[in-house]
Amino acid sequence: MKSEDKTSRRVAIVAAGIVSPLGFGLTETLQSLRRARDCVTPVTAFSVEKTRCKTAAQIDDGRLLDKANRSRQSRRLHRASYMVMTALAELLERAREFEPEIAIVGTTSGGMSFGENFYRTLGNGGACSAALIANYPPQKQIIDAMEKFGINAPAQVIANACASGTNAIGHAFNAIRTGRCQRILAGGYDALSELVFVGFDSLQAATPEKCRPFDSNRSGMVLGEGAALLALEEFESARRRGAEILGEITGYGISTDNHHLTQPNPDGSGPRRAMEQALAQAQLEPNQVGYINAHGTATVLNDTAEGKAIAELFGEVPVSSTKSMMGHSLGAAGAIEAVVSLLALQHQFLPPNINFREAELSLNIVANEARDAQFDCTISNSFGFGGTNATIVLRRFAR
Amino acid sequence: MSLSIAGMSWVTPLGSNVNDVWQGLVAGEAAPIEILENAQNGARYLVRRVPPTATAHLPLHARLRRASAISRFAAAAGLAALAAAKTPPSLDRIALVFAISNGGVIYTRRFYADIVKSGAQSASPLLFPETVFNAPASHLAAILEISGASYTVVGDGAVGILALKLAEDLLASGDVDACLVVAAEEIDSLVCEAYRQWRFLRDPKKPETGRGMIMSEGAGAVLLKPSNGGIEIDQIVPGANFFRRSEASARLASVVSRLKNEIGFCVGSGNGTFIDRAERAAVGDEMPVYSPKIAIGESVGASVFWQLITAAKALEAGTLPGSSKPPVGSRALVLACGLNQQTGGLTVCFSARSH
Repeated sequence: MKSEDKTSRRVAIVAAGIVSPLGFGLTETLQSLRRARDCVTPVTAFSVEKTRCKTAAQIDDGRLLDKANRSRQSRRLHRASYMVMTALAELLERAREFEPEIAIVGTTSGGMSFGENFYRTLGNGGACSAALIANYPPQKQIIDAMEKFGINAPAQVIANACASGTNAIGHAFNAIRTGRCQRILAGGYDALSELVFVGFDSLQAATPEKCRPFDSNRSGMVLGEGAALLALEEFESARRRGAEILGEITGYGISTDNHHLTQPNPDGSGPRRAMEQALAQAQLEPNQVGYINAHGTATVLNDTAEGKAIAELFGEVPVSSTKSMMGHSLGAAGAIEAVVSLLALQHQFLPPNINFREAELSLNIVANEARDAQFDCTISNSFGFGGTNATIVLRRFAR
Repeated sequence: MSLSIAGMSWVTPLGSNVNDVWQGLVAGEAAPIEILENAQNGARYLVRRVPPTATAHLPLHARLRRASAISRFAAAAGLAALAAAKTPPSLDRIALVFAISNGGVIYTRRFYADIVKSGAQSASPLLFPETVFNAPASHLAAILEISGASYTVVGDGAVGILALKLAEDLLASGDVDACLVVAAEEIDSLVCEAYRQWRFLRDPKKPETGRGMIMSEGAGAVLLKPSNGGIEIDQIVPGANFFRRSEASARLASVVSRLKNEIGFCVGSGNGTFIDRAERAAVGDEMPVYSPKIAIGESVGASVFWQLITAAKALEAGTLPGSSKPPVGSRALVLACGLNQQTGGLTVCFSARSH
């Protein structure tokens, strides 16, 4: 294993906030994970009459808008902005004094549905609201949320497809680890949109059935949405000011698989390199990892490549894809799953991989029910179009 | 951390050879203006387009077969920046960082148009992957066989500063020896219409006026290495966001105040909108300011790279286009203000150090 530079800093997670189909906030999310709640429902936001897939995991709009406590000025913002605001509100409730130097977040499509409305309005000969245009770009949602809470930090928005959230957290981790920053707001967000939904349907990557990651009869993904944010701080700085430390990030790996724009190399070499790098940075042997939160989209191609890499590298380490419960939230997925991994470490349980019936690969799947377990380290994987692969390592913080 | 610019290249409506375009800017040339018409509503826009010859020499790589203009521009600029380096880096120790704003909008519009006109069942599985923001970066990584870190950063016209900051972080970590930082955009009527309705575009009936921006397309690329002499990026400062346009100048002034002194001139992002005044207020009346956008248009995500290359050439030549006096001072300021709240800046200098 590579030895870490002596000047390397530890990176603490001092607060987190989340909204996803699993719930609003950490407490609801924890309950849903323990109860193995299936959050997939029929799509209501747009017509799915002509798509093969008809379902997604969605956040209730009424509750979202109510939670976001919209002011007059913020009424025309995109719903992704309200998701980020909801996550940020929870984070700041737990760390009021947290002042990030920069926000590093991931997304794939920002306020895409506003872009769709713009196109449709134009086609109908109508005049578009400037709000549709101004609130559509992908950086706008994090800027809106920071404005609401008086945070005036630059926003570095990473769009590495479905790996965006993990890349954002991983890059933020490295920036603190190497002493470039002290405090970073990191995470990801994405809201369901017709264009993206139809896109995955057109690729036949989305399933009209249940989402069954790693099952031998898996038939594809279901989409989800949400936002999650982590307050990352240099460990000694956090300890000096008496901040509550929820956990640590200890490793990050990134690789690019040039096999195909949308398909991973079936030999699993791309994911494997990301996982190996992350372990090396965390100075961990594979058998020291107690849980793997897999990317696990339930597509034939992803799960074969990822499953092969996990099986070869980790053997019997428990694995689950929580996308089986909450769908694939794309740019938010890595951030949401980092929070899921953090909750698993804090509460010492293994989140379940629901809808699982029959194994195809030699993996230790946490099938259908959450399990109690004792472990100190977990990894979270995210892989995306374009061949981006990202893995982070999280460690339990023992007081 | 200082970063050497080991290679640089651009694809602009005025040409793709760094020196030729630079000489054109010094001579006061401007790229031709064309009219682009919107088939949806008949609106007309002034645009500056990259000539087809700019990408004619690209390798016959499978990834480029179906790729949109943005990916071709990016490939042309990225390959040329690498070729311009005296000592090309080992490709297993190089990271790719990409800056983008509107992205692959031509395919995005076509893909969504099919959904609207003919229904979801008509949507093309070939087009959808090309709509993803990181598709151009993925194509370039595949062409160059880069298998390490690759990041696509999205934002407004200041996104280039945030991408360069990310590259600086990667180089500071010591995990890579070099970073190829690329930015690209393509023109489409949908994006033009959005800016028109937002009242930022120049009136096509009054092309000679300085008010309003003219959209353009193209790419820019720089190969960065840890400081080793020559033209260097001295300091990169991503700025805070402005929530109202009236705040833009204060945010830019804050960026300038965090950059080192001895700045001789500014290559700004002025494009005929509120940005012009905000930048002037931020740097003061005395500072010579030049924006290449007056000659090659507003390329949004790629614009910071055009500014950076202009600044590097101005330092090298001791001349600032549009200025009768030679620039004084050892550093050039590249200042960036986007239309949608982001700001930032960097300084470029000439360093004699070399080892």
